[in-house]
Amino acid sequence: MSSVAHKKSKGIMRKLNAFTGVAFGLLLGFTVNYLARKYLAQGEDFPFYGDQVIISTMLAWALGFMIGVGAFVGPYRWLMNRDLSYEDQMWLAGKDAGTSRYFRFTTDHKVVGIQYLIMTMVLLGVGGTLAMMIRTQLSMPNNHFINHSMYNSFVGLHGIIMIIATIIMVTGPFGNFILPIMIGARDMAFPRLNALSFWLIFAAVPILLAAPFLGGISTGWTAYAPLSTQAPPGMDAYIITIIIFAVSSAVAGANITTTAVTMRARGMTWDRTPIFVYGAVASVGVAIPAFPMFMASQIFSGLDRAMGASFYDATNGGSGWLYANLFWLMGHPEVYVILLPALVALLEIVPVFSRSPLFSFNAAVAGIVGITGLSVLVWAHHMYASGWAPNLNAPFMLTTEIISIPTGLLFLVFIGTIWRGNIWVRLPMIAVYAVLWNFLIGGITGIYLSDVPADMALHGSMYVTAHFHYTLMGAGLTGMIGATAYWFPKMTGRMLNEKIATPAFLIMQLGFQVTFFGMFLVGLQGQPRRVAMYDILFANGNKISTMGAYTIFFGALIMLVTIIDSWRHGEVAPANPWGSQTLEWKVPNPIPLENFLVPPVVTGDPYQFGKPDIYDLGADKEKVEV
Amino acid sequence: MSTKERTRGSIGEFIRRPYVRHIFVIWVFVTIAIAFFAPVQSRLMGNSASLEMDVVKETMTIFTFWSAPVAGLVISVALYSLIGWRNQGGQAPTEDGSPMRGNSKVVVGWLVGSSILCVMLLVWGLAAMSESHNGSDPAEVHTVNVVGNQWVWNFDYKDDGNFSTPVLYLPVDEPVMFNITSVDVIHSFWIVEMGVKMDANPHETTHMRVTPTELGVFNVRCAELCGLNHSAMFTKVHVVSKSDYKAWVDSMKGSAQ
Repeated sequence: MSSVAHKKSKGIMRKLNAFTGVAFGLLLGFTVNYLARKYLAQGEDFPFYGDQVIISTMLAWALGFMIGVGAFVGPYRWLMNRDLSYEDQMWLAGKDAGTSRYFRFTTDHKVVGIQYLIMTMVLLGVGGTLAMMIRTQLSMPNNHFINHSMYNSFVGLHGIIMIIATIIMVTGPFGNFILPIMIGARDMAFPRLNALSFWLIFAAVPILLAAPFLGGISTGWTAYAPLSTQAPPGMDAYIITIIIFAVSSAVAGANITTTAVTMRARGMTWDRTPIFVYGAVASVGVAIPAFPMFMASQIFSGLDRAMGASFYDATNGGSGWLYANLFWLMGHPEVYVILLPALVALLEIVPVFSRSPLFSFNAAVAGIVGITGLSVLVWAHHMYASGWAPNLNAPFMLTTEIISIPTGLLFLVFIGTIWRGNIWVRLPMIAVYAVLWNFLIGGITGIYLSDVPADMALHGSMYVTAHFHYTLMGAGLTGMIGATAYWFPKMTGRMLNEKIATPAFLIMQLGFQVTFFGMFLVGLQGQPRRVAMYDILFANGNKISTMGAYTIFFGALIMLVTIIDSWRHGEVAPANPWGSQTLEWKVPNPIPLENFLVPPVVTGDPYQFGKPDIYDLGADKEKVEV
Repeated sequence: MSTKERTRGSIGEFIRRPYVRHIFVIWVFVTIAIAFFAPVQSRLMGNSASLEMDVVKETMTIFTFWSAPVAGLVISVALYSLIGWRNQGGQAPTEDGSPMRGNSKVVVGWLVGSSILCVMLLVWGLAAMSESHNGSDPAEVHTVNVVGNQWVWNFDYKDDGNFSTPVLYLPVDEPVMFNITSVDVIHSFWIVEMGVKMDANPHETTHMRVTPTELGVFNVRCAELCGLNHSAMFTKVHVVSKSDYKAWVDSMKGSAQ
């Protein structure tokens, strides 16, 4: 249809989409694979041949896909002095295009947001299914559901898939879809980079999912060297995925940061900027120093594997501790990359569903800034028991424990906002309560683990596994579900059917508590992480865990079906079903291509709730509207 | 009206508000419940077999005690809000809640409180760390060299004769120093009931000290994923009396020669 309207503007650009991307990616991948096998030196003297072939094939696939999907059209046209015309850019933005725009290099931030949401759900589905495999294997002490090799492979794959999924789960869908509208912008600062960040992930996912067919990621998601040097070619898939993902997140980070800094509506001063914007920027901001570390660590790992370098080979001057440091320089900030956006999404929800302003906006900002700043200074608490630098244990214990202060501020903001609110108990608000509980447990167990002597007992045990699931899943993922329930009407134009979604959510929460109660139990009893079989002593705890896990899975399936059903057939949503005050609720459904017909002017912060009452005449009312 | 306004915001007036009293009651109950729970984790860790594990168990309990009031506050406000401040009817609230946008006294109080707690945690941790470093003369400490190897542990007794064994024997109440290394990948040498672990790194030697205090047989497990049979990389440690230990060393020396 639209191609008829654009008859004049010829060019291959309008024919490119995800399918041409896959086709070209496969073509280039197979070609390079053929050439590599033909011309690369092989034989006994060349032990790196296999990894070289696989790495070059994967890179060729990714490059081919990006070319085929049209990622380089813009720079190419610029180089050829035929810069994109207005019509071209409108076409890229998906103007008047139907569902087809979701399958091509579309620059509209709303399309990218939906693409990210679907990608997140797919990844969570795959990662969750792998978790069920793991829990099934662990339902009995000496189970033979899957063999040890497959078990290790699933553990690694589950870990890295969930890490990627949870990193993108809030800043991807909501950071792209909601954030620009929230600040009154017509799109992101760099719309083409926005599409680029998504399609890079799309290019990386098949590589990651190829890992189990290449021997799997047998190292756990941490991929410690020198175990990673021993690992089968599945490890190459991990390396390439991380490298691509790091580029994607750098691009997304620069984009979201620039958008938030430069494109806020007239009148949206920093103290009128919604707290979600702060958290999203903090999250991608932390990723900007953190992910290059991860990328470097994997480039080194790839060079060790495919070129015989010795970054991590202690017999040749390298060090496994170098890897561990680079990895955790990313690994701990990354926890907050995941957690912060989920928490600040809930901070948007709490005022709306308490009908009360955010309690101490400045404390919330201070909490976010404090966590962000400290998060890059705590990495070596993952290495207390590594023996790398015992004298550094005390300083890292200090920084780790200090992070409880800004984290505590966020708790204060939550309960302060709830304080004497008029609490409207809907699914987004239920998620807030669930996250308060889960994050409390995740936080307190984190305090034990920050303590050096206690960590010497608990490190590497199931206790740690339960702890970080309470933070990343209990707080992070649960927060993301709350955010989905909250923004669902704006993103899909339909209401989420809470009659089914809320029970499903509660089933998931119940299952979650049971699963990780069992895991804390066996952790305290002394079960190591990542074991495919275990002592009979741990049988009961693991059985509890597995039953809980099935409950989560059951709840998640119902949730998924409800989301799909509501998306397709749900009740049509009004523009602002919750009575929120942020700008995204001021635009009509469906949202026009450039969001605002008239650029909005902001005259106050979006938390103008509250009526004066007998307790609050005066003293507590610090800021008055406008 | 004027008297009311004068006293509003004072502590006396604050604690007379009905919801504050309700929250206080819930807070007391929740805090006591958490405090009761405090020793549970320590108990689940089983009996301590070393000085180091005593410290760990104490830490788990005391940290739970300290966090009880704070956790109790968050939980009690959340619980009360679902009862006392819940909008009745399920429809969108027609009335707003409190317009409170902050309270500097509360924020400062919270910051001071959490900072004090943080310092307490830190001081406790540092004290516990230095405790485990003190002890008897290094010359009197036994030395055992631990070698991780996919997927077995080997223990080389250099001090007490020159022999190796896959099962660890230690004399009770004597500090022992482990020199830990690996021949392939990273392992982690964990004596579960003694609450200590240290990674075994290829081409590096790391050190770990422990003082067993209980006679018995305890578990050594690998705590770092080390490949295919990571879950099978475990062995036992026998803590025996000093005389039994001497007898065992003699028998090992005999078999080694």
